[in-house]
Order: sequence, then structure tokens, then C-alpha cells
Amino acid sequence: MSEPGMAPLTEPFYDGLGRGELLIQHCKACDRTIMYPRHRCPFCYEADLDWVTSAGRGVLHSFTVQRLGAPSGFEADTPYALGVVKLAENVQLLGRLWPDAGGGWDSYACDAEVEFHPAGQDEISRRPVAWFRLGSPSS
Amino acid sequence: MTTAATADEAAFVGIGELPSGRYPDRAFMGGLVDVAVAAVRDAGLAMTDIDTILLIPCLHSGADQADLVFSRVVEELGLNGRAKSNVMFHSGGSTSDNTVRSAISLINSGHAHNVLILQAEKWGSAPLIEMIDMLTANGIPREWEKASGLSFNAVGALIQRRYMAASGSTPQDMASVCVALREWARLNPNAMYKDKTLSVEQVLGSRMVSDPLHAFECPMMADGAVGLVLTSAREASKAQDAWVRVAGSGGCVSHYSIGQEADLAVLGWPTAAAPAYEQAGWGPGDADIAEVYDSYAAVLTIALEGLGLAPAGEAGRMFAAGDFSPGGTLPVNTNGGLLSAGHTGVGGGTALLAEAVRQLLGRAGPDRQIPDAQRAVCGGSGGTYMDSQVLLLERVTK
Repeated sequence: MSEPGMAPLTEPFYDGLGRGELLIQHCKACDRTIMYPRHRCPFCYEADLDWVTSAGRGVLHSFTVQRLGAPSGFEADTPYALGVVKLAENVQLLGRLWPDAGGGWDSYACDAEVEFHPAGQDEISRRPVAWFRLGSPSS
Repeated sequence: MTTAATADEAAFVGIGELPSGRYPDRAFMGGLVDVAVAAVRDAGLAMTDIDTILLIPCLHSGADQADLVFSRVVEELGLNGRAKSNVMFHSGGSTSDNTVRSAISLINSGHAHNVLILQAEKWGSAPLIEMIDMLTANGIPREWEKASGLSFNAVGALIQRRYMAASGSTPQDMASVCVALREWARLNPNAMYKDKTLSVEQVLGSRMVSDPLHAFECPMMADGAVGLVLTSAREASKAQDAWVRVAGSGGCVSHYSIGQEADLAVLGWPTAAAPAYEQAGWGPGDADIAEVYDSYAAVLTIALEGLGLAPAGEAGRMFAAGDFSPGGTLPVNTNGGLLSAGHTGVGGGTALLAEAVRQLLGRAGPDRQIPDAQRAVCGGSGGTYMDSQVLLLERVTK
């Protein structure tokens, strides 16, 4: 499934999503977190990299709801929401957003607290993406 | 250090342009040849004076792109055996800025005497879904973001949502950007939408594509072609009373993937602008016009603020107040921009650059020529707005 040579980066990340975990690449040489996974650390350029599990808490930098003009293969998914999430681990990524209690995304706003909430294994096999929902203040 | 005008430095002297829009019967190579001839004649030169051709890539066809790379233009223009070099740069929408940097360096160093920059695109005639899929497949990390279903309009929407949250701009403010550009396009006979008026109500009444972007806030793909000629100031002074120099330049590549941009409401503009103004020895308050990449409203407002042409967070409200419209305090995107002159792919930035040169040469025609335009701020951006490129242009007279 992965392009040649990419499996060491993609498979641990995708497998993590399938288990319901959001993994962040980590540089053992300089102890920095890295997202998305790289071939070498973009801070110290060493290749001694492993993974840490994200606590899944972050802030929504921006988001959009795709309604019309989806790319080929995504037409049946519309409407669906995408967001850029800044995680507490000092990395950020683009992910999908779960609909809110109203079935849409009206409760979402820039700078809202969000939390990682995994999609099922079937969905991750189809589309390996991190999913987030609005964070519950009590949890 | 500021740069003073010298006889050896590069000078813009000629422009050629074809109307933007849907022209399925206009041949790609024919369009390139037409703007080449127009630009060289406008420069007061002969085609045989051209020794270097710098090409802006096309996105509609791999075969046409290959023709550019393999020097077909040289042969079509009868420059076999005369042209020293036929070469292409590519940084998406900011390609024209990077190409100009190359052109002026070649001329300043004596490696080239007369440079012809050529661009043509047939996006407006190409199959829409193929172009959407092509854009979706590129500039997005295949392993990490493509599976999310990110579309190109969604990239613009993520930027616009963040800008609106950071600035407090309303949907009406953002729609007014599109309306202002339409008012400029109405004055440009080469603009795709020269014959269609647009109101804030029409924009906000159009269908939601990718929140907060409505259909009329998304750029329409267009065919188009532009040619530009540069020579040395010494040569320019033989045939022209006025020419245009590059007084300053700066750039910043701020990300590759949209998910990695640190601040979607800022991008690379402040970093790119500071050294450009320092080199030019003048500031944003000295600009007579601005021609800045505008494939979505917020892409333009963010750039204007980063370029110091509007206070932080105010550009949207300034558009709503008419400050950047015809008759306003600072003319912005006087050709109608990508949003109303037409999105000609990589050529959208080239058309804005050509408009800046045209205005400074005083050749913009009676309807939209800005009187006594001496200084222009040009801004280009490409791909997922991954880079912010600044060129500061000045009119020079003999």
C-alpha cells in the first residue's frame, strides 16, 4: 500500500490509528517530537527515531466543511469536515472532525479544545486519518 | 543596503497579453507566439534581439509542458541558433516572481541581454474534474493528508476561516474583496468577468462550497497568456522614455503541507516583506499600487497586511469600505486579480506582475490607468500558499 521505502514511516502510524492510538514520531537524539513522520529529524538531522503516543489533546487552529467539489473518491463522504489541530505535544496535523451532537459542525470554532477520538478499523483501513471531536472540559 | 538605478541593471520594457477566459479554439503554442510578438514589439525590439527565453510552466497538459521544456518556443519564434538558453522555473503561483529574479540576475551579470518571459495556460478549457484531481494530488503529503479528502478549495477555506477568526472580519467583509476585484475587472478588457457585475448579496447567496467559502468566492479556472520583455537600462534608454526596475525583493517558504503552517492567518509575508523594503529604501506607505496574489479573498487580505499595506486584521474591513476599489486610497489588483480576471494557473501571478509593469509604464489604458503610478508592491504565492514572494517595482525615466 505504501510507496517503496515508506512503510517504516507509514505502517506504525497507520497501525496506531487502527488500534485507536495517535502516534507522534520522536527523535531520540534531540528529544523533539515530529509530525508528520520524517526520514530524518528536521531539527538535528539524526535518524534515530521512535514513537510516542499522543495524549490526544489539542486546539483547533482552523477547519472547513467540504460540501461541494470534493476530490474523486470522496463525493459520497460529503459533507465532511477537516481541521488543523495543534496538539499539546507541540506538533500539528490535518485531520477529520466528527459531527457534533447536532449532526453538523456548528459547535466547532477556531481555538476550540479538541480531542483525538479514533475512527473504527474499517474506516482507518480505507482512509488512514486522525479524527478529532470537541473536547469535554470535565475529562 | 538600498540599490540605486544603474545602466547595467535589468529593465522591464514590454508586455503582451491575451484575454483570459474560456477559449477552447485558441492553440496553446499559438497563444505563446502571439504574446511573444506583442511583448517584443511593445519593447521596441526585434525578435532576433531576444537571447534568453524564460518559461512559466503550464498545468493543463503534460505534452504542452514537455514542448516548453524541449524548446519548441525557440523554434516557433525562428530563434534556432540564436537563443542562448530556453529554461523553466517552477514554484507554482509565485513562479513569475522567481523567474523575474532569475531574469534580472542574468541581465545584471551580463549573461543575458534581452530576456523574454512567456506564459500560457488552458485551464479554462481543460476538463474541470481532471484539474481538481490534479491539484488535489499535488502539494498535499500523499501519506499524511490526502486520505482526509482535502480539496484545493478546502485549503483556501482553512486559511479564510482562520483569517476571519483572527481579524473579526465578517462574511460581508470577505465578500466585498471579491466585489472590489470585480469592479477592477470591469475596467480590464482582458478580464474573464469584464462583462458581469457582482454584489455582496450575490456572493453570500451563492452555494456554500467549503465553509466559509461560497461558490462565488472560489476562483474560476481560465485560459490566458502573458509575455514580458526585460533588457538592460542602457538598452531601454535607446528605445524608451520610461522603464521599470526591480528595487527590492524578498521571499519566505513557510510550509509544504497546509497542516504544518504555524499561523494560517499570517503565512510568510512579514518575513518576505522586511528585506524587500529595506533593499528598496522605501516602505509600504510609498506604494502607488499593489498587485498581490488573490486566489481567495483571505489569501489577499493576509498578504496585504503582511506587506504593511493594511494594519493587522483590517484589510477585510478596508475592502468593505472601498479603500482598495477603483477610486479608493490604494488601488489593489487593478486587472481584477485571479478572482475576477481569471485563475490562469501558474499564470495568475504572471498576469498580476504584468499589470504592475503596465501601470508603471503608463500603458494601462484610459479606464484603469492609475495617474502618476511610480511604485508597485507585487506579491506572489504558490501551491498551498507555501511561499510568499515580494517584488518591489519602480518606474524609471530617461
